[in-house]
Amino acid sequence: MELNRETVKAKNEERIIRELFRQKLEHAELVPDPSVREGLMKRLAFKEFLHFNPARFNIWYLGAGAAAVLAVVLLLSGGPDRSDNEKNNTAPPAGNYDMDVTGGLMNDQAGDLYPVKLKEAGKEMTETCDIMLQGSPDSVGGAERSRVRTDQGEDDIFRTAVAKSIPENILLPAAGRTGKSLQGTTASGGLSFTPSVTEGCIPLRVNFRNNSTLSGPFHWSFGDGGYSHERDPEWIFDNGGDYKVTLTTPRPDGSSEVSSVTISAWPVPSAHFEIIRPDNNRPGGEIRFVNYSSGAVSYKWDFGDGNTSDFFEPRHTYEKQGNYNITLTIYSENGCRASQVIVNAFSGSGYFIQFPNAFIPNTGGPAGGYYSYTSDESAAIFHPVFSGIDEYQLRIFSRMGLLIFESNDINIGWDGYLNGQLCEPGVYIWKVRGSYRNGETFTKMGDLTLLKRE
Amino acid sequence: MKDHQIIEGCARHNRKAQQLLYDRYSRFLLGVCTRYASNRAEAEDILQESFLKIFFSIGDFSGKGSFKGWLRKVAVNTAITHYHKNLRYRYYVDIEEYVSTETGIADFEEDFCTADELFGILNELPAGYRMVFNLYAVEGYRHKEIAKMLKIDTNTSKSQYSRARALIRQKLESLRKLKGRYSGA
Repeated sequence: MELNRETVKAKNEERIIRELFRQKLEHAELVPDPSVREGLMKRLAFKEFLHFNPARFNIWYLGAGAAAVLAVVLLLSGGPDRSDNEKNNTAPPAGNYDMDVTGGLMNDQAGDLYPVKLKEAGKEMTETCDIMLQGSPDSVGGAERSRVRTDQGEDDIFRTAVAKSIPENILLPAAGRTGKSLQGTTASGGLSFTPSVTEGCIPLRVNFRNNSTLSGPFHWSFGDGGYSHERDPEWIFDNGGDYKVTLTTPRPDGSSEVSSVTISAWPVPSAHFEIIRPDNNRPGGEIRFVNYSSGAVSYKWDFGDGNTSDFFEPRHTYEKQGNYNITLTIYSENGCRASQVIVNAFSGSGYFIQFPNAFIPNTGGPAGGYYSYTSDESAAIFHPVFSGIDEYQLRIFSRMGLLIFESNDINIGWDGYLNGQLCEPGVYIWKVRGSYRNGETFTKMGDLTLLKRE
Repeated sequence: MKDHQIIEGCARHNRKAQQLLYDRYSRFLLGVCTRYASNRAEAEDILQESFLKIFFSIGDFSGKGSFKGWLRKVAVNTAITHYHKNLRYRYYVDIEEYVSTETGIADFEEDFCTADELFGILNELPAGYRMVFNLYAVEGYRHKEIAKMLKIDTNTSKSQYSRARALIRQKLESLRKLKGRYSGA
């Protein structure tokens, strides 16, 4: 019985909350910031531009077409260089380069980018590229290596080259083998990243440290549909399972460096229990528990009075009445834990306030509203039954919303009169606010029927 | 301009019609998006995405049924996509954060809180809870449908919903305490 009532109560509460949100928010409106509109229109213009539509063909499309043609031309003219270079890795490719370094190469710090102009004599094409010094120029001297990155107009393939500090030895662009020796990892299948943990309970937070010396872009795939492009991402696995985390980094030569690790995220059990109270809330009665938990192999109950139990569904008797926090902690086979606490498990039994839904006022004139449980057997005064009330305010309204009666004294109820006149029989609305002695507040409303004494 | 004229205009990518559509429905859709977001900025992001989707797929609107309903559906779907994209930013719910169930009956006076306060409560919820709660309680989808949309288990949807509800109730009650016992007249 008790269990049924709890279920009904929970269902009722579910409905109240659901309707509250639906009523208030289903058609709620908020005024967006004007910048949202501007941003949207910009994005819209850009997106519509990408969605080619002959009806809107204009100068922008012409411009884009011209740029695309230019890009293709540049791409094609850059192609032969690349293949040449793969054949000959240590010497400059066919064609002579004149190099024009802006700024002193030897005197500057490593890591800086230097604009360099290269002129290919045969093709009369000028490329501008940046040289980045890797490592300290002073320490390595002749063996010093530089990385050259070219940026060819629309062609955004980054090419990496190795150069000694002697300008004539700059290679343009780099071949795969050079990349390997320079980067020095993963050619043998070693891992290019390290996860902070490889197994654990969900939500499992894993930090991945990227050991790759490639400059990116990094494509992380976490095996659960998630991805990232950060260098050292952090990921949280929310669901149990084995996930293959893969890091793919394109090498300069077009191949990719791929490594993967399996992360085991253990599911967390789910803890849920209910209390079945003894009949009539009899003090000293045996309390039973219903355990709805799943995915667990061991259970630990803390009854809040210093006693514990390892049973699946224990029974417990409290020596003293009181408010206890009951905690159930459960463990899965992997040791993942979940818990549920019912706070003040027995608070509901102590304090309450309830109103009847009808009363029959005396016809002999206003009674003043004082009542006692013994004197009001005929239900002539509208008043609550209660326990543990601290603050209290009762208001009664007519169906038109007119305030008819107000009382801040729990001992004064409504006698059915307004200004000395007996109110019409019918339905009235009551609202009550207040607090219990434990500080918990209550707000309730309902209707009551004023009946006519026969 | 009538709705159907605006719709036709938008289908032709008429900028004027698009702006009219935005001006007419952005407030309503921001309301929808805000329910699914953890803050205003995120809501406005989703709103922009939704409008882009609306402008590019307005041809899919059959003309039958409510246009507003269709708009809402697009926004909700956008919010779901957004949620999936940002799964890794998901609120980290500590296991220690247990579900506490109090045994009092919840009675809420109809007007004790404003829509803004309810938005605030939703914003504070963990993203997963927020999705399920919105879809179930406000949008009125069934757990089975929600499970499909969010790519989760039906039982997960159910349990997340009840956990969301427990959190919401806590928040409602503390809100009520905050507002004072006798604030209203």
